[in-house]
Amino acid sequence: MNSVYFLVQQTMFFSIPLLVVALGGMFSERGGVVNIALEGIMIMGAFASIFVISVLQDTMQGQLLLIIAILVAVAAGMIFSLFHAYASINMKANQVISGTALNMFAPAFATFVARTIQVTKSINFNNTFRIESVPLLGDIPVLGQLFFQNTYLTTFLGIAILIVSAFVLNKTKFGLRLRACGEHPQAADSVGINVYRMRYAGVLLSGALAGLGGLIFVIPTSTNFNATVSGYGFLALAVLIFGQWKPKRIIIAAFFFGFMKTLASAYTGIEFLSNLGISSYLYKMIPYIATLLVLALTSKKSQAPRASGIPYDKGLR
Amino acid sequence: MKKLLFMILAVVMVVALFAACTPEPVAPVEDVVEDVVDDVEEVVDEVVDEVVDEVVEEPSGYELAMITDIGDIDDKSFNQGTWEGIVEYAEANGVTHKYYKPTEKSTDAYVAAIDLAVAGGAMVIVTPGFLFEPAIFQAQDMYPEISFILLDGFPQDGTYTEFRIEANVYSIFYAEQQSGFMAGYAAVMDGYTKLGFMGGMAVPAVVRFGYGFAQGAEYAAAQMGIDAIELKYHYTGNFDATPENQTMAASWYGAGTEVIFAAGGKVGNSVMAAAEAADGKVIGVDVDQGSESDTVITSAKKELAISVQQGLAGYYAGEFKGGVSEVLDITVDAVGLPFATSRFNQFTQADYDAIYAALVADTDGIASAILGDADVAAAGELPLTIVSVTVFE
Repeated sequence: MNSVYFLVQQTMFFSIPLLVVALGGMFSERGGVVNIALEGIMIMGAFASIFVISVLQDTMQGQLLLIIAILVAVAAGMIFSLFHAYASINMKANQVISGTALNMFAPAFATFVARTIQVTKSINFNNTFRIESVPLLGDIPVLGQLFFQNTYLTTFLGIAILIVSAFVLNKTKFGLRLRACGEHPQAADSVGINVYRMRYAGVLLSGALAGLGGLIFVIPTSTNFNATVSGYGFLALAVLIFGQWKPKRIIIAAFFFGFMKTLASAYTGIEFLSNLGISSYLYKMIPYIATLLVLALTSKKSQAPRASGIPYDKGLR
Repeated sequence: MKKLLFMILAVVMVVALFAACTPEPVAPVEDVVEDVVDDVEEVVDEVVDEVVDEVVEEPSGYELAMITDIGDIDDKSFNQGTWEGIVEYAEANGVTHKYYKPTEKSTDAYVAAIDLAVAGGAMVIVTPGFLFEPAIFQAQDMYPEISFILLDGFPQDGTYTEFRIEANVYSIFYAEQQSGFMAGYAAVMDGYTKLGFMGGMAVPAVVRFGYGFAQGAEYAAAQMGIDAIELKYHYTGNFDATPENQTMAASWYGAGTEVIFAAGGKVGNSVMAAAEAADGKVIGVDVDQGSESDTVITSAKKELAISVQQGLAGYYAGEFKGGVSEVLDITVDAVGLPFATSRFNQFTQADYDAIYAALVADTDGIASAILGDADVAAAGELPLTIVSVTVFE
């Protein structure tokens, strides 16, 4: 039973960043802008917030500092995503190229700034954010051990973001307009929706969430930030596609990916699994094979937003 | 918005006007522009000549050069240790120094970086890591007047068929197995019986650390009369801090592992993160990593800085050990544990000094009996009776 608790707790460290970043990608793409810069935005968000943590950690610790870091990560992600928004919405640039440029720029920028300010590239931080056990909730048998022990504030924040995102996208005026801009911007424009503004909102939301995802990704898994998020931004894109641009499916995809990733690494410490003799390579492959299968089987009725990746041109009807 | 643009344009034009009036700085630029119109190639040639002239004219350049291995100059491990040695020597002796980062992990890129260093005036080039073997194999012939210090490697042609060392190459190996041996010995002497080893990529130096660790644990267990030691053994295949590495370490701690020897650069940070959450312990590698986390009980060191400095001192004293390949071991204090900053409970300075002295003196063949990477094919085949090794692919 302990290993089940462990697996679930550990899965959160993989799944929550994937979930948050994929939801960010969802807002951008449902608004009609392909955002492959998620990786770069994650790096920027993590860089800015970890840097703030390393500066402030002598004077404050714990959840207050984490909340400040979260705000910084969100702000940094939004500012950075503005570049992408400007290039792909105002300048009508190729969105893949703009995203790639940001992906290449982010680690170089983080390395450069870190070296300039503090000589070394890696930014150390003390992890004072882990919650051993949530008061009251952590004492619930089974459920408490599964979800409320050895956890982080960001885990619950991630779940909250999912619920809010699903609501905003499907139940609000804003969500409807955003989706319209991603499906048929000319039609949206004809009824008086400002397509540029909606797309800006979509990209900025994706920047905020991806920046936050970067912070969530780094904190539980290292003791320093080293200008990389190990390709998890791209993995979040896979989660987004696997989730067919829908919040409910994205959470399934994120937990599926996260669980498989956990199994691939954690089976060595769990006797039952290591006795099965299944190679770790198999576990590592499963999410990707599943993505390929899903794509192959559903590509005909793929739910990708129709206008995603196409710069909005008022002249086209 | 338009007004602003016009203003900027106007300012630019005015500035350009003034700039055109001041002859010195602008004139050559104009010349170059004309040349471009006339003949692009000519300009390129000129520029190249200029650059070459500059390099030749500048007598100092950067006399000491280091090419970084995969990873960065501030990796708190291999590159950094080497570089700190160079910097310390250079600053003490007033020698110019610079490091070069290859564009990618390939022999071509390494050779290109060496070219760059030579063009930058390098007289001695330090290359840390066995990945430089083929690059040095080529460079030793290309630049016979330049001296190379190759750490952890012997020049070979890239296919391990032809090995050759010229008089301008000094190849240094470390007896990592001895360093790992002491770490394993200290861990078991300190009361830990469930151990883990997480190496980075299975490169020879990492493998030697791992083998030594297992054998050191075995030796201590035999000495203390312990009848069973568990050792989980894994190469992560990277040198990065990733959630995968953290998860694996966390799962080991969860399964009862008490201390994990993390021999793989940033892999150590993932292990430390897991250790902090699970109240586990970590053994660092290459340099003293005790300051990075309170969970680090000690570090299996190799004295990169000292040996590089010795090599450089030899060069400037006219006694460069060109054509020599040697293994630096405990007899020259090249490996060891940073006892002063270690966090042991039972393992005392006297214990450390005793095992150190025994290794130096090779009492009962203790040091020479430690197997290295070439002696056995896999960790599972080490001749161990007390330590049971579980290797995870």
